[in-house]
This record gives sequence, structure tokens and C-alpha cells, in this order.
Amino acid sequence: MSTERNLWSHRLRSDFRAALAVVAVLAAVPLFASSPYTLGILVVSMYFALIALGWNLLAGFTGQFSLAPAAFAMLGAYTTGLLAYHLKAPLAIGIPAAIAATALLGFLLGRIVLRLKGPYLALTTLSFAEIARNVVYNSYNFTRGDQGLNVPSLMESRVGYYYLFLAVLAATLGMLYRLMRGKAGRFWLAIRDDETGAESRGIPVVRYKTFAFALSCAICGLAGSLYGTFSQLVSPELGLLLQTGLVIAMVVIGGMGTLTGPLVGALLVYLASEWLREFGGIQLIVFSAAVIVVARFFRAGLWGLAVRR
Amino acid sequence: MSLLRTEGLTKHFGGVAAVDDVAIAVEAGEVFGLIGPNGSGKTTALNMLSGFLAPDRGRVWLGDEEVTRMKPAALAGRGLLRMFQMTRVFPRICAFDNLLTAGLARGLDEAEAARRAGALVEELTLDPVKYLDAGQLSGGQRKLLEFGMCFMEPPRVALLDEPFAAVHPVMRETMARFIRSRNQRGHTFLVVSHDMPIVVELCHRAACMNAGRLIAVGPTRDVLKDAGVIEAYLGSGAHA
Repeated sequence: MSTERNLWSHRLRSDFRAALAVVAVLAAVPLFASSPYTLGILVVSMYFALIALGWNLLAGFTGQFSLAPAAFAMLGAYTTGLLAYHLKAPLAIGIPAAIAATALLGFLLGRIVLRLKGPYLALTTLSFAEIARNVVYNSYNFTRGDQGLNVPSLMESRVGYYYLFLAVLAATLGMLYRLMRGKAGRFWLAIRDDETGAESRGIPVVRYKTFAFALSCAICGLAGSLYGTFSQLVSPELGLLLQTGLVIAMVVIGGMGTLTGPLVGALLVYLASEWLREFGGIQLIVFSAAVIVVARFFRAGLWGLAVRR
Repeated sequence: MSLLRTEGLTKHFGGVAAVDDVAIAVEAGEVFGLIGPNGSGKTTALNMLSGFLAPDRGRVWLGDEEVTRMKPAALAGRGLLRMFQMTRVFPRICAFDNLLTAGLARGLDEAEAARRAGALVEELTLDPVKYLDAGQLSGGQRKLLEFGMCFMEPPRVALLDEPFAAVHPVMRETMARFIRSRNQRGHTFLVVSHDMPIVVELCHRAACMNAGRLIAVGPTRDVLKDAGVIEAYLGSGAHA
């Protein structure tokens, strides 16, 4: 592409408009399909879309391949759950606390892995994720382990939850759009493309990498916190590596390094996984095969394909 | 006072002295050449000057500020910018966006960065490819782009590592013209190069390194006539 359309600001604007169009379609869904089952599936899809957007900020825009997004969703959910369970803290405190706690943990993890790349970065974040999950799992007296924690609900209405998730999704997209079109976004892309080159141009790589880590983890933490109140139960299973695999499949299939890709990928993959459930446990086989096909033949994912046409 | 100065700069890798007690001084407004055969320590010296490598010993000053062991981004913020032998552009964004990003990193606002990027793509003959992703550009075009990125906000000193290596003659002339024109405006360059005709043409003074040590410093033509320099390049007995 050698036209002005290839400018980052143009690409990002088209991408954001497409993402908003998907949000608009989602906003209309309850008008036509309001069964609790359908809305529940879509709420979980939006939960995954939020995690996918958070992970994509780190992996797709900044080039930091973390294997801990599901662990941060779990930590967000447990922050809210534990505050409610032990301290009877209202959700108005529990949810912001989940954002703050996961942002802080993400910041610390970002500092630890600052100089790591590729497999070393992936393995370190994977180790963190497994440690976090096992600590939650084994601290029965504090977390109730695999029994899970009951979390109060924000509201009774499933439609209300649907629109809450949609609003948070739209706000997250808006925030990411604003960041990506500004200095932070350009610096993240530069770090993704060539960290040494970015440093040599004067970009404060340490600051922007840790910022990306903290923000990405906070988005995952918020998703987990909201999901916990929706399902009214949080358990260590939220942090399974399998969940992270699903998130990665969503982003890769949808299109890494875009706003629309993770959103569309999360919706498609989760809806497909629900549909495939009828055929037994073949979801992972199907998604793994889809990831292989995308990685081999069209790395830009479905959104990349759509744009090319 | 020299604009860029080193004193006793030393770096060992294992038991080998890659750079050994090197003292150079680049004056404001000059083009200073750093020459020497392969493995003489030029790039290691440049890596220490630009903050990518910490010296074992020695000190570096930029103007009256000591900048030894300062990180590359901090040095870039002070106007010491580096261009690499293997170009360091951002391949997945277009050439124009590369320039914009470099401008923002130097503290320009987006409107001013866009204005300067527009002027630079014309000056560097990159206009026809400005919307191509930098990864799709030819090697020479990437070097020109990296020049542009260095000059979005004119540096106090531009460190150029083999800017003319493996570049088409037309582009080499574009680069040389760019250096000349910027130097006429008072900009300072330290150029590492093997391209002797261009070193002679561009550099007011030069220093030659061999086996990690500085063996000659002075006006470029004098350095190239130095017996030690000829021997370093051509072997012993070459000047006989």
C-alpha cells in the first residue's frame, strides 16, 4: 500500500470506525435476541474481547509477548472477590481496586521482564501466571482454593450486564484509540518494530514498556473483576493457561496490532467455541488449526484480510 | 572547548582490547572521520559514544557535560544521535510515520513534526516512497530515511556508522550532499567510513584506529598519508 491511506493515523481511524461499527451491531443485538443464554454468551465474548484488547496492546502494539493475560483477569476477579468476602467492601471499591492492583502488578512484572525478549519473556510471564494461579489455588484459608469465591452481583438484569460490558468495551476502545493515535501509540509501535532503534531516537523505552504492561494488565484485571460479578463466582480456573491460549487465538485470528481484530476475533472464537461444544472437546483443535492457517497464510488476520480487499 | 570529547576510552571483550585508551575531540561545526581497517574498534567506540556500550574505563563529554555511561535515549535527548551501519528504521510503519515518530521523540509537536517530515522526504528524494512501509524500502532508501530521522530536530552531533556502505552511487551522492548542506549550516558530524574518497571529500579532520588504538589524528589528507595508517590498511612494507 503506497497511498496516504497507509499513514498510521488513517489506518487507525478506519480501524477504530470498524470497531465502533461492531460495537453498534452488538448494541442492537438485545433488540432481536434477548434470551438469557444468548446474552450470557455475548457477555462472556465481551469479557474475552476486553482481555484480547489488553493483550493486544502488549503483544500487537508493543511487541511484548506475555503469557499472563488470563492470570491478570483472575487476579482482578480475586481482588474484587476477596475484598467483598473478607472486608465486605462494596463493588464500587472492589472494581477500582482490581484495576489498581493489576496495574501495579503489571507495572512490577513489566520492570522485571524489561530486558527479556522472545521465549525468555514468554516463559517468565508464563511462570508468573502459574505461580499466581497456584498461590490462589493453594491458599484455601484466604481464597477458598478450588471451591471458588462467591462475589456479589452488580445488578440482576442480564440485559443490564450486557450493556455494562458493551459500555466498558466501547470506553476501552476509545481510550486505546486516543493513546494509539498520540505519542504513546507511536512510541509503542516503534518499540515493537525495533527497540534499539527506538532508544537511539530518544524514545524512553523503559517508561513506555512498563506503561504498556501496567495498562494491559489493568484492562485484563477490569475484565476479570466485572466477569466475577457477572458469574458471581471466581475460581483459579480463570487463570488457566488454556484461557490465555484462547485469548491469543482470538487476537491472532482477528488481527494482531489492530483494534477491530481482537474484538472480532473474540466474538467469533467464543461463539464458535460455544457452537463446537456440541461436538465434544474439539474447540482447541479447531482454533489451533485456525491459528496455524492464519499464521502461515495471512498474518494480518481477518481484519487485515478485510482491509486488503 | 570541543563539542564531543573522549579521554582514555577503553573496552575489553574477554582478553581482547577492542578499544584501548582512545582520546578524540570533535569540534563544533566539523565533519570528523573515524577510519581504520575491519576490527579496528571503530564501531565499538561509536557504541560507547552513543550509550549502547558502557566503557571499562575512560570518559565522554558532550560540550561541558560528562555523558559517560548515559543511556542512548538520554543522549539522544541531549542531541547526540546515532545512525547505524545496519539501518534501524521501524519497518511496519510507513516512511513518513517513521519521520513523525522520530520528531515526536525529539519533543516536536505533531504538526511541526509533519511539516519537517514533509520537507525532509523531498530533500532526501523519498517522496515517491513516503507512504510505503519502511520494511519495503531498499537498503539505500532506508539509510536516507534514517538520516531524515536523525535530522527531524537537528542533532548537536550526528554519529554516522558506515553511512555509505553498500549504497547505490546516486543515493551515496544524495547522502553526501545532505551532509555537506547540513555542515554548511553548522551541524557537526562524526562519520565512520571505509569509503576513502568520500572521507577525503567530506571530513575536515580524521582519526585512524588500528587494533583498538588511535594511531593518527589530524587533517584528513595528512592522516591518509601517515605511514602507520598505510601500514594498517595495506600491511607492513606497503609504504616502502
